[in-house]
Formats: sequence, C-alpha cells, structure tokens
Amino acid sequence: MKSFLSLSIASVAINTELYAAEAGMPQLDPTYWASQAFWLILVFTILYISISKFYLPKIKDNLDNRENKIKEDLENANKFKEESEAKLKEYDLILENAKKEVLKIHFESKSALDKDIQSKKESMEKEIEKEILKAQKEISELKKNSISSIQIISGSIVSNIIENISGDKLNESSIKATVEDVSKKNLNKFL
Amino acid sequence: MASNPMQQFTVKRIGPEINIAGVDLSFTNASLFMVISATVIILFLFLGSKEKKIIPNKLQLIAEMSYTFVAKMISDTAGSKARPYFPFIFSLFMFVLFCNMVGMLPYSFTVTSHIIVTLIMALFIFIAVTIIGFIKHGFKYLSIFVPSGVPAVLLPLITVIEIISYLSRPVSLSVRLFANMMAGHTMLKVFGGFVVSLGILGGWLPLSFSVALTGLEILVAFLQAYVFAILTCIYLNDALNLHH
Repeated sequence: MKSFLSLSIASVAINTELYAAEAGMPQLDPTYWASQAFWLILVFTILYISISKFYLPKIKDNLDNRENKIKEDLENANKFKEESEAKLKEYDLILENAKKEVLKIHFESKSALDKDIQSKKESMEKEIEKEILKAQKEISELKKNSISSIQIISGSIVSNIIENISGDKLNESSIKATVEDVSKKNLNKFL
Repeated sequence: MASNPMQQFTVKRIGPEINIAGVDLSFTNASLFMVISATVIILFLFLGSKEKKIIPNKLQLIAEMSYTFVAKMISDTAGSKARPYFPFIFSLFMFVLFCNMVGMLPYSFTVTSHIIVTLIMALFIFIAVTIIGFIKHGFKYLSIFVPSGVPAVLLPLITVIEIISYLSRPVSLSVRLFANMMAGHTMLKVFGGFVVSLGILGGWLPLSFSVALTGLEILVAFLQAYVFAILTCIYLNDALNLHH
C-alpha cells in the first residue's frame, strides 16, 4: 500500500511537471475561435434546416398515423363490440321466442292429444256398452232357449228311459208336466 | 499517449488554410467533429423515419422517443405557445447530446468542451429569446425585471439583481456545459495517465476509477444536453408567457 501511494505521488509529480510545459487551456487560445464559430453556425444551420424541414415532419406524420390508426382500431373494436352485443340480444330474443313457441306447441299438442284420447275413449266405451248389451241379450235369450230345449230333451230322455225300463208308453203331457215341475225346482240351482 | 490532460482540447487545422477577409476560418478537428455529430444525427433520424411502420423497429422507436421526449419537455416548461420553436430546441438538444456522446469515444474531440462553441449557442439563445420577448410584449417585456409582490423598499435592489441574473444567463448557460465537459474529460485523462504510470501493479485502482468515471461521464453528457435544452425552454417561457 505504501509503495502504491508513493508511486502515485511520484506519477502526479511527473505529470504536473509535464503539464507545466504546456501551460493553460487550449479553449482560451483565440486562434481558431472564428473558425469554430463559423463552422458551428454553418453545421448547426444545415442540421436545423434538415431536421425542421425533413425529419421532424416525417416523424410527426408517423406518430400521427399511429395515433389515428390506434384510434380507428379502437373505434372499430367498439363498433364490433356493440354489434356483437346487439346480435347477442337478438339471439336471446329469438331463443326466448322459440322457447315460448315450444311451450305453446307442447300445450297445443297435449290438449289435442287429450281431446283425441277423450273422444276415442268415449266412443270405445259406447261401443263396449253396446257390445255388452248385445251379449247380455244373447245370453238371456240363450238362457230362455236352453231351458225350453233342456225341458224338451229331458222330456224325451225321460220317456225313452221309462219305455226301456218298463216298456210302457206314458202319456207325453204328464211327462212334460213332471219334467217342467222338476226343472222348475232344480234349474234355479244351475242358472 | 500524451500525458497532458489538456492536450485533448487542442484545436488543430485539417487541410488547407481558409482565410476570408483576414479571418482564419480553416477546417479544424473541432469542425470535423461538429460535422461528424451532425452527420450521425441526420443518419439516425433518416434511418429512424425511413420506414413508416405502425409497430416501429428499434431505431424508429428511439427517434420517436426522442421526438416525444423533447416535445413533452417543451410543452411542460414553456406551454403550447412554444410549439413553433420545437424544431430549434430539438436540433439544439440533439446537437449538444451527440457532440457530448461522440466526445466520449476514445481519440475523439469534444466540441462542447470549448467555451467559444457553448458561448455562441448561449448568446444566440439569449439574443433570440430577448428579441422574441420584445416582439411579443413590446416594452412591457421589461417588467420581467420587476417581480410583483416585492416591497417598494426592496424594489430597486431586486430589480438590479434581476437585471444581473438576466444578463448572466448566457454566461451561466455556456460555462455550465463547457466546464462540465472539460472537467469530465480532464478527469478521465488524468486517471488514464495514472493507469499508464502506475503500470500493471498499481494501475488497477485508477483503471477501475476510469471505468466508473466513463459511466458517470456518459450520464453527464446526457444530463448536460438535457439541462441546456430545458434552460432554453425556461428562458423561452419567460419571453412567451410574461408573468411572475
């Protein structure tokens, strides 16, 4: 550290000795003042003219262009946004209407179906009733017929059985009366 | 390496001697670096405004940023009335900035480290601002020396101080830039000289100082250009918007 310090002091001493050789500031030497002034004015004037006439308007144009473009794009974006919002509203409206219509159609078809089912049911019921009535009539008729035919058949069977057993021929009317009598007693059991 | 730290500021003639009416207007290294700085500015602005892209490339972005930077500086300090002077302030800022920055390159010459250069710029600004003030406000412009709300007893004193401060504007404006640039470059040179004289053993300390100082000087180069431009804006503001 000590050697470093002494070295630096020595170098400063050497340097200052050298400075003394060329004393003063070159800035204060007026030899080239006029030349510097002349060239400064010349160069700066050319620079000023070229900057103010060519480059600044160009840069300004460019900046304005960008600003306009950004503004335009933003406006367009807003317009598109509004448009899309309107479209969305329209879509919602359509959807709602469609839903309403669906409900309406649903109700209509349901009521129509209900009506149809009702009327068909009614007609079916009427038909069934008719059929039942018919069948009942038939049954009662059959009942009647069957009684008389059973009596006739049983009469003839009885007479046949008596003939075969006793070999006598009994009076038909008496047989008939007996059969009727018996059948009246017993038929109620079966019919 | 020249070990005199002031030698870097010497002006040398390049090419033939140009003598007009007994005045030496020769092309010097100072003139050369003015031309180089101006050429770099024009090249930068040319490349920065060549392609008119919506999404800018780097150079275009820097050119547009410097435009908006200066435009904002003017509108902030001098208001909308200063709009016509925008090209001048922009040129001034770019010229001082690029002269300072080009001067940071090794073996180059710093144009703004010469008092005559900064004084001419400052004097031009001072005279132009004074003329603009008188054109806009007539003799009422003199009221800039009489601030309102000052007690009558103090008024003569304040007015004298105001006049002195107004007249010292070109001096302070020019000396600030010149002294900053000269001091910075002298310091760099001195530390550079230490590196050489202390050699490989002891040279590391001044070398690290040199590196740090280079960074500082680049900051100063920008800052001084900014200060020069913003003070011009403030003087312009005084001339355009007369109120205290």
